[in-house]
Amino acid sequence: MADFSWNTQSPLERALVPGHHGVTGTQVGVMLEEVRDINLVQVMARRGKVVETVKAAKKVFGVEPPSTPGTAAGRHATLIWSGPDQFIAFSARSERDHFSKLSDAFAGVASLSDQSDGRCLIRIGGPRARQALSKFCSLDLDDRAFPPGAAATTSIDHTATNIWRGADSSDGHAVFHILVFTSFADSLWHTIQDAALEYGVQASLAHTA
Amino acid sequence: MRIACPFCGERENGEFTYLGDAAPKRPNFVVDGGESPERIEDAFYDYVYLRDNLAGVMREYWYHGGGCRSWLVAERNTVTHEFIAVTAAPGAGAASAMRAGE
Ligand SMILES: [Zn+2]
Repeated sequence: MADFSWNTQSPLERALVPGHHGVTGTQVGVMLEEVRDINLVQVMARRGKVVETVKAAKKVFGVEPPSTPGTAAGRHATLIWSGPDQFIAFSARSERDHFSKLSDAFAGVASLSDQSDGRCLIRIGGPRARQALSKFCSLDLDDRAFPPGAAATTSIDHTATNIWRGADSSDGHAVFHILVFTSFADSLWHTIQDAALEYGVQASLAHTA
Repeated sequence: MRIACPFCGERENGEFTYLGDAAPKRPNFVVDGGESPERIEDAFYDYVYLRDNLAGVMREYWYHGGGCRSWLVAERNTVTHEFIAVTAAPGAGAASAMRAGE
């Protein structure tokens, strides 16, 4: 009988080559990172249970989940709008029973799905991030249309994604987060990196705190 | 062309899929003549196969699959392609459908 051993590995194991890419020299227009060790839980209110779901979320995270495209900073988690009456709870990977604790908190009012290993999180920052994004993302990412805390579900390169804008970096540049299905992560990473090469790309790995 | 999703805002039309006329309602067995096999068969034939080919404003189902994955009802002018209004279809999100068949 064959022995199987299962190793978790990033879908960007091959695509992400840490270091500088693109234009010669040291110019970095775009910082491209994969964020590992994430917890993602999709929460969808059951039919007619929106009020109860909001109440349960408030109890667990200390904030109400966003009711329009956007994010809400809660206790140990960021709540990201992902459609009407649903959101994604994003947090740093922590204790093993994280999901079952949330399941208990939303029992009977919302349906939960653990997406921690189902999605890949890519973070894009730097002075030219917006120019690179505009080559493959059809959203208006200008400050007025997409300020910090804005979120959207949209198709990027024919792939379903969740995109949101976090807090600006210390040097004042916008930082965008993109969640993509793991099976499409490799392809999307190449699309993003190719789009950013002319500005100079710094690719790296990041871990949630 | 851009379509204003009531949940997401304006998006490129490539994110949406067209289903068709939002008018046909699934026949109700009792109301639509369940006692007569011919009448209910006619009603189902109409519901499944027959569509009006309107030149002008019609209500249509559209699906925002490339975005919030909600079913929407759009009022669209088939002559000018103008979208007059786009609203959530009954049962979108966690809302209850208004009545069976919708
Ligand atoms: Zn939408």
